[in-house]
Amino acid sequence: MNAALVSPATVTAAALETRELAHRYGRRVAIEPVSFRLDAPVIAAVTGPNGSGKTTLLKIAAGLLRAGRGTCALAVAGRDVPPSERRRWVGYAGPALSFYEELSVSENLTFVAETRGLEAPARAVGEALERVGLAARAADRVAALSSGMVQRLRLAFALLHRPPVLLLDEPGSHLDDEGRAMLARVIGEERRAGLVLIATNDEREWRLAEQRIELRGRGLGHPA
Amino acid sequence: MPSNGSNSGAAVWAILRKECRSEWRTRYGLNAALLFAITSLTSVSFAVGRLSDRPDLLSALLWVVLLFAALASMGHAFVREVEGHTLTLLRLVASPTAIALGKLLFNLVFLVVIEAVTVPLYLVLMGAPPPRWGEFLALLGLGSLALACATTLVGAVIAQTRGRGALFAGVALPLLLPVLAAAVSGMRSQWAGGPIVAEARLLAAYAVALFGVSLLLYDHLWED
Repeated sequence: MNAALVSPATVTAAALETRELAHRYGRRVAIEPVSFRLDAPVIAAVTGPNGSGKTTLLKIAAGLLRAGRGTCALAVAGRDVPPSERRRWVGYAGPALSFYEELSVSENLTFVAETRGLEAPARAVGEALERVGLAARAADRVAALSSGMVQRLRLAFALLHRPPVLLLDEPGSHLDDEGRAMLARVIGEERRAGLVLIATNDEREWRLAEQRIELRGRGLGHPA
Repeated sequence: MPSNGSNSGAAVWAILRKECRSEWRTRYGLNAALLFAITSLTSVSFAVGRLSDRPDLLSALLWVVLLFAALASMGHAFVREVEGHTLTLLRLVASPTAIALGKLLFNLVFLVVIEAVTVPLYLVLMGAPPPRWGEFLALLGLGSLALACATTLVGAVIAQTRGRGALFAGVALPLLLPVLAAAVSGMRSQWAGGPIVAEARLLAAYAVALFGVSLLLYDHLWED
């Protein structure tokens, strides 16, 4: 086992468990075998050197990437959720997430809400933007947003459908002090509802977590 | 908690509307397609004059103009998502099949708009004899459906490959040739007063086969 896991598990509304999970990109090792289990309500942080596989781990958990070896199981309300259905239960925000620049902030999120089949898309969009402090820029096109505002939009995207599992890859990047305070508040609120997993090397972010998973790969996607 | 009634119909409809809105805002394909259609039509009509007694040439030229006018945009429906880094967003909110069906419907709408401008102009500028409208529209519709199915499928397959521009032509050619052959032959027969049943059946069967293959493939296309 290559992970240092701190603190015991608690409630089981949502649970994420990896067993000897490993991944490669060609000959490059992305994740050394890692095993852990997280049970909601919990905030956990994945840390490790650049290239140790934090982003890859979150992508696998979100169902965006198929695990190379081992397993990464997600259960919600006692039911296993296969990777192809995880989009319904997982809110994901990461640097790889981009938006349609020709559409406004609210048009982007309304599209997401409608595609997800939310019952009241406009209300969900308004609430999500309010939570991340972006309501005043709802009508602006994404192309006109600063990096910090795009980061807030990523968070709003992840929160929009009120998922029980939040996967946040470097959620504080580009955020100012007020943005980081908002992030800490939102993560605290989400912990009450479920499971929050943060990939980060920023101490201000991993200090929000109750559990820490240290990926001990050699970093920089070393060759096998 | 998320809406678990995440419904594919709603997702397809939302993706179609998003595609239309993005195209309207950016005119990525529409302007280029209309420019190509109008300039090629004008050039051909100046060069060869009216072709009222040549149903073979009329049929071939009509489909050549439609094909090239449409290809520039339709082949890029997925490439734009990859190059704009928005494919991750789409994958996080909808199934690959819903994404592809939304794109297919958009490609069909796009073709209808191109045809609404191009076909009347073509009939007037080339001095085409009055078509048998039922047969003419049936061939146009079935040909467009087969064309949209083929270009959407190829666009989805090549979207994440390197050298996708060159690949598109290479992969699309064998899929498009039967469509063009049947559409041109049917259109010639329509203008010559002959039956079009065989060509219409071929186009319909080809469109259904491509659509069926697409449904089988789409869920596996973007697994990393």
